[in-house]
Amino acid sequence: MITVLNIIITGLIMGGIYALISMGLSLQYGVAKILNVSHGEFIMIAAMLTWVFVGLGIHPLLALVLCCPFTFCVGFLLHITIFRWLNINSGTAAAYESNAMLLCFGLYFIFSNIAMQIWGSNPVGFQFMEKSVNLGGAIIAVNKIIVLIIALAVSILFYLFLSHSRLGKSIRAASQDPVAAGMLGMNIKKIMAICFGIGAVLAGIAGTLISMYSQVNTGMGMGYTMIALIVVVLGGMGSIPGSMIGGMILGFVGSIFGYIEPSLSMVAYYLIILVLLLVKPKGLMGR
Amino acid sequence: MKILEGKGVSKSFGGLKAVSDVEFYVEEGEILGLIGPNGAGKTTFFNLLSGALPMDSGTVLFGGQKISGLKPNQICRAGMGRTFQAAKNFPGMAVYGNVMMGALFGKPGRSASEAEQITDEVLDFVGLTEYKDKMVTDIPLSAQKQLEVARALATRPKLLLLDEVMAGLNPTEVEDAMKLILRIRDSGITVIMIEHVMRAIMTICDRILVLHHGAKIAEGTPQEISTSKTVIEIYLGES
Repeated sequence: MITVLNIIITGLIMGGIYALISMGLSLQYGVAKILNVSHGEFIMIAAMLTWVFVGLGIHPLLALVLCCPFTFCVGFLLHITIFRWLNINSGTAAAYESNAMLLCFGLYFIFSNIAMQIWGSNPVGFQFMEKSVNLGGAIIAVNKIIVLIIALAVSILFYLFLSHSRLGKSIRAASQDPVAAGMLGMNIKKIMAICFGIGAVLAGIAGTLISMYSQVNTGMGMGYTMIALIVVVLGGMGSIPGSMIGGMILGFVGSIFGYIEPSLSMVAYYLIILVLLLVKPKGLMGR
Repeated sequence: MKILEGKGVSKSFGGLKAVSDVEFYVEEGEILGLIGPNGAGKTTFFNLLSGALPMDSGTVLFGGQKISGLKPNQICRAGMGRTFQAAKNFPGMAVYGNVMMGALFGKPGRSASEAEQITDEVLDFVGLTEYKDKMVTDIPLSAQKQLEVARALATRPKLLLLDEVMAGLNPTEVEDAMKLILRIRDSGITVIMIEHVMRAIMTICDRILVLHHGAKIAEGTPQEISTSKTVIEIYLGES
């Protein structure tokens, strides 16, 4: 019984992180049409920065706040410079999509290698609320509970932002039909750049949260990119609720297999995708 | 007064001249029909006017201001609304939400309550109020066409471009669409319409412009166009 409780809580935490990462990737692909395979590097950079900030005596929660504008600016500036240039120079929308993915591979190499030059490749970490509490028998570190609360709060806030705010509505319109959205007075290029920036922020928040409960290193990015890709396919390309649900499912699967046999969790992820693609090729919430 | 005028408007796709050197004007308050055989460049012409495609050369003045070269959102905010031949509504939103998008973003600085008021008015104006909570995919084709018009009207345009809003409608629905377009004109909005339903074009248009292979081949009142030898030739073949 206690084991089950442990698996559920760990699943919620992993699911919350996966949901954050995947919502970011989904937004970048669904609106900005960029399949960002360097997504995990934003997670890594935020995680390493948090470690640096904490080394300077800054509280991890303050580091979380500091990382948000930084990752947003990196994402936004990348989009209005190189991605816009690429968009102008790619003849068709389809050519732009594939070129943008290639460009993201380049960004992945650049980011991960610069980070490795600066910080090396050894795992680093810091102490943050490591005391444990007893939740109905399951022993859980306080930092993990804080991470879970923040991850869920950010996911819900992001969902409310999309459904209720003016900018959120224009993002949804642009994701459903960019040409019509432009014709109704929305500045599509600006919306796309903002979406890429918000995607980077969600990755960055996830990175900081991960660094709060586990060690991090400069090579951690690609693993999370893979997870995010799996979740986005699972939930349905470009669907934000799909990413939340898919993230949770994958979190629970990871948690269950982490208990039985950790080395099989990747196998389980791909098995789920395989079955899903056979049964419902457009993903859980895909249109 | 001329609300829209253009000179030398041209666009090529590779070697194909989709629109070539078109000179035109639209009088404020009129309904201008745009006709021509399939592939004549009518929709491309709309895309150039509304900024969806950049023009290769030529200038377009809208209310005396140069709009050629502006982005679609800037042209929309200058007061030009348009509909699309293949309905391009937002499938993930209800009818109300679709119209709301035009009301919210059509002009800068509109408050949410103003936008809601405009949305209600427009839905009532085109007769879509009964469908307002339905998803776009669940309403009939005629209502989808009306929704395209409603969404463009919600931006509160001075000039409205209608791209085949009657295609696929039955005779009763065409009749309703004609009445709607006349009511739009009577509310002070100038209209340019692409249409293949000749009965509608000949009945409600003040003037007609004929495109063929991207070039303007005739221009005049419905009477003049229906008796023009060149127009009859391109539609029926040479006699």
